[in-house]
Formats: sequence, C-alpha cells, structure tokens
Amino acid sequence: MSSPALDAREERWARRLSLAGSLPAGGSLLTLTLRLPAALRLGGDFDGAARALFEALEAEARTSGSPVLSSEFKISADGPEGWLALGTGARAAKTLALGVEEDHPWGTLADIDATDARGQPLGREDLGLPPRTCLVCGGPAAVCAAGAAHGLPELRAAAETVLARPACTPGRIGRLALQALLEEAAVDPKPGLVTPRSRGSHADMDYFTFLAGAAALAPWFAEAADLGAGLAGFASTEDPGAQDLLDRLRAAGRRAEAAMFEATGGVNTHKGLVFSLGALCAAAGCLAARGFVPTAESCCDTAGALVRAAATADFTAASAKPEAELTAGERLYRSSGVLGVRGEAARGFPSALRIGLPRLRSGLAAGLSRNDALAEVLLALCAEVEDTCVLARGGPEGLEYLRAEAARALGLGGLSTSAGRAAVRNLDEGLIARHLSPGGCADLLAVTDFLERLG
Amino acid sequence: MKAKKEAMAGSLESSDVLVTIRPREGEGVECTIESIVLKQYGRRIRSVTEEVAAAAGLSGAAVRVQDRGALECTLRARLETAIERSTAGT
Repeated sequence: MSSPALDAREERWARRLSLAGSLPAGGSLLTLTLRLPAALRLGGDFDGAARALFEALEAEARTSGSPVLSSEFKISADGPEGWLALGTGARAAKTLALGVEEDHPWGTLADIDATDARGQPLGREDLGLPPRTCLVCGGPAAVCAAGAAHGLPELRAAAETVLARPACTPGRIGRLALQALLEEAAVDPKPGLVTPRSRGSHADMDYFTFLAGAAALAPWFAEAADLGAGLAGFASTEDPGAQDLLDRLRAAGRRAEAAMFEATGGVNTHKGLVFSLGALCAAAGCLAARGFVPTAESCCDTAGALVRAAATADFTAASAKPEAELTAGERLYRSSGVLGVRGEAARGFPSALRIGLPRLRSGLAAGLSRNDALAEVLLALCAEVEDTCVLARGGPEGLEYLRAEAARALGLGGLSTSAGRAAVRNLDEGLIARHLSPGGCADLLAVTDFLERLG
Repeated sequence: MKAKKEAMAGSLESSDVLVTIRPREGEGVECTIESIVLKQYGRRIRSVTEEVAAAAGLSGAAVRVQDRGALECTLRARLETAIERSTAGT
C-alpha cells in the first residue's frame, strides 16, 4: 500500500536525480530533511527547526564562498525539505553538510544528502566517516530506524531535548573564559606556579594577585566574543569591515591588559591569556553567530585563522623593536625562532588540542577530581611543550629539567600515587630553587579548561 | 503475473528502499538484496521480498532491493508498487 508520504519521498528522489542532472559539471545538490519518523516529521512541530537548519546550511555555503545556484525550502507531504544547488563539488558540499550536522545545536536532527552532477550520492562512508548514531541510544542510526527500535514518545523526547540546547551567547562564552582563569589559578599543586597555597617561584605575586587580574578581565572575554560575532558576516578577514573589527578587537585587548596591570599593581598575571583566550572567545562568538555550536576543534581552527595575520605582523614588528622593549617571547623568537603563545595560537592551539584536552577528558572520565585532572594536564603540557617562560629564564637546561621531571612525575602515576605526588613536590622545589615558572604551560592549562567546558 | 517492463519504486534516501524489477527469461523470480543493515536484517528483507513477490504471483522477474534502513512496512509498500508498475497491462 502506498501513502502520500511514500509518494512524496519517491517524487523527491526523482526530483533530486533530475535536478542533479541539470547542474553544471562540477556542481552538486544538497537536500535537507529531518532525521525523525514520519509521525514526528509530519506534525509541524519541527518545521521551524528544519527551516533554521536549512538557513544555517545556506549561510554556511555562502560564507565558505560556494556559489549558491538555487535554494528552496518547502513542506511536502513527507514533511519539511530544503534544496540547495551549489556550484562546488559534492565532496565540498558534503563537508559543509557535515559541519551543520555535527556543529549546529540542532544538527543531529538534520539529514543532509549530497548528490553530484552525475546523480551519484556521496555519503559519509565516501569520506571515510562512521555512520550516524541514533538520537536516542547512540547506536548505529540505520539499525534502530530499520527495526523501529524506539517508540514515538522516546524519539519525541530526544528531539525536544536537542531543541532545548542552550544557545552559545557571548555572555556564556565570556563566563567560561573567566571560569577557566579562576580554575587555572585554583589548581594545586602546580610546580613553580602560584596556587592558593604557594607563591611558587614568584616573589611579586600570590593567589590574590591572580584573582585581582581575573576580576579585571571579566568584561574582556564577553567583549571579544561579541566582536567575534560581528565577524560572522564577513566571508574573509581581508574585508575592510572585518579588518575594522579586528582592529577593535586588538584595541579592546590592549584596554583589558591595562585594566589587568592596574588591578595587580603592575604584575603580569594574564597577558598571555588576554591574547589566547581572547582569540578563542572571538572565534567561539563568530562560530555561534553563524549558527554553530563552537566545539574545541572548530574554535581552535577559527581562532588560528583569526590570529595568523596578526601574529605574523607582531613578530615582524618585534624584529624591528629595540632589544630592551621586547617581551620574553619576542626575545626568544628573535634568538631561537621559538614561537611561544602567538605561534601556538596561530597554529590553532595544537598543544591544547592534542596534549591538554585528551588528558583532561581521560582524567575526568577515570574519575579524577577536576583539580587533580587539571594538575595532570599541566604535567603533561610541561613534559612536551617548549615553555617560553622557562626557556627564557632557564635556557635549554632549565627546559630539559622541567620536561624530564614532569614526565617522570606522570610516569610514577601522577596525582594518583604517592610516588607521583612526591615527584611533583620535588619538581616544585627544584623550580623554585632555579627561579623557574612554567607560565606558558599554565596558560595552555587555562585554554584546555576553557575548551573542555565549551564541548 | 509476468514482469513486462523494467520498473522502480522508492528511493535511496535514508530509511527508504529502492526496488528495481526487470523481466528475465523463464518463470522464476531472482532476488538480489543490498542493505546497509544486511547483517541485522538481511534475512528478514529477503523473506519479506520473496513473500510479497509470491503473494502478487510475480514471475519471470529479477528483483533488486537496495535498502537504506527502511521499515518493513515501507519495504512491503515499495515492493508492491514496483510489482504493479512492472506488470501493468498484463
């Protein structure tokens, strides 16, 4: 027995093949439908979500520079459906679609199929990706769908939970950044660094200095996210409007830095984080304004793109500055080519993404407290990263000492064993005796904390 | 009823199935099953296909089922439509 919904799907398939056939060579077609059973697709309750998803897909195509040949959204007898014909190839189009399916807050409800100009569908498997997972149980979606594994009330509840996901506002992004600053300062033990119980290697600051610095920066991160949201409207950072926003971002960063120095009595507690977390907040704001849920990966990627031009300009300027005016990082860059915080940001925070974040997630999953998980993240970063603060003061020997001892403490079981904790205490004393403080790794610890909270 | 002409029903969308019927020599019905959930539901898809073909009295046909995770009721509807289209006029 046929039904209007089945007929509509068949018509859609025929239209998909005929539209694809009429595309110019190298073009592609995206069709968006809802990944819900007919009973929910047809009720009208999810039409608005489908339309929002389709608009996000089209906006994504336009910002990526794909020529939009035609665009149509309608409610058929099978439920809402969106049609987007693009001048780019099916692989690029499918990548856009995956961005929406993975990163949009409601993306898991969308089913976006790509077809090339010869009528061939291009699926996840063609890009080497695993099949999609079920909305309810997380198993393979096709198996649950074919077996009608879940009842309607269960599916409706799962879909409504997705729609109720909080929007990622500049205010929320700013709060997460401030929280990262506070949590980084609170973590104990942190060899050589300031904690609530220790000044580490620092004579001129304590935990309260860090709280003062963080409090002064409270408005800055939300402001960075807000300016980043403004960037969402520009296809390229080369655009004069985008350049203007980037200038305003830099100016706001300088004001934030000044507010921090005023609050701490001239002590540099967070200069590196004004820069790196500021860039990440701007990136998160930009992604959210484009309709996405910023993930750790997408945020780092976008932040890297944002700071790349600026970082190059900064280092070019540094090579012209007199020696006395250089920061520790700039001096090191000049003498050894080590890039430090700006290099890390320009490359999309590889140390935070590949060392910090996996370690924090596995630590939390293993049941460590957030404090202990973060303390181990710091050790892992110290063991692998070239900390420019330590390199500038302690030279290659100081850096080698830090890396070897941090690796040894982790090897002994980190915070979970008494031998590991003893090694951490030894490292703390050794760094204090050498007047060394891994401030670069501490910044990456805060970045890692922010990225983990972001998702 | 003999398959008279090539006919299709359905689509390759997720949770649907594309059924293609072609006339072939002799009285027999030959079924080819492809499915993204072959491991879980392959046997059931084959038995439903053979059952629907038999109930319609289909003969002299090659039936190709390309399943994208369709429900059983969808598979039955697509098979019936494809058989109708292939045998129309006999």
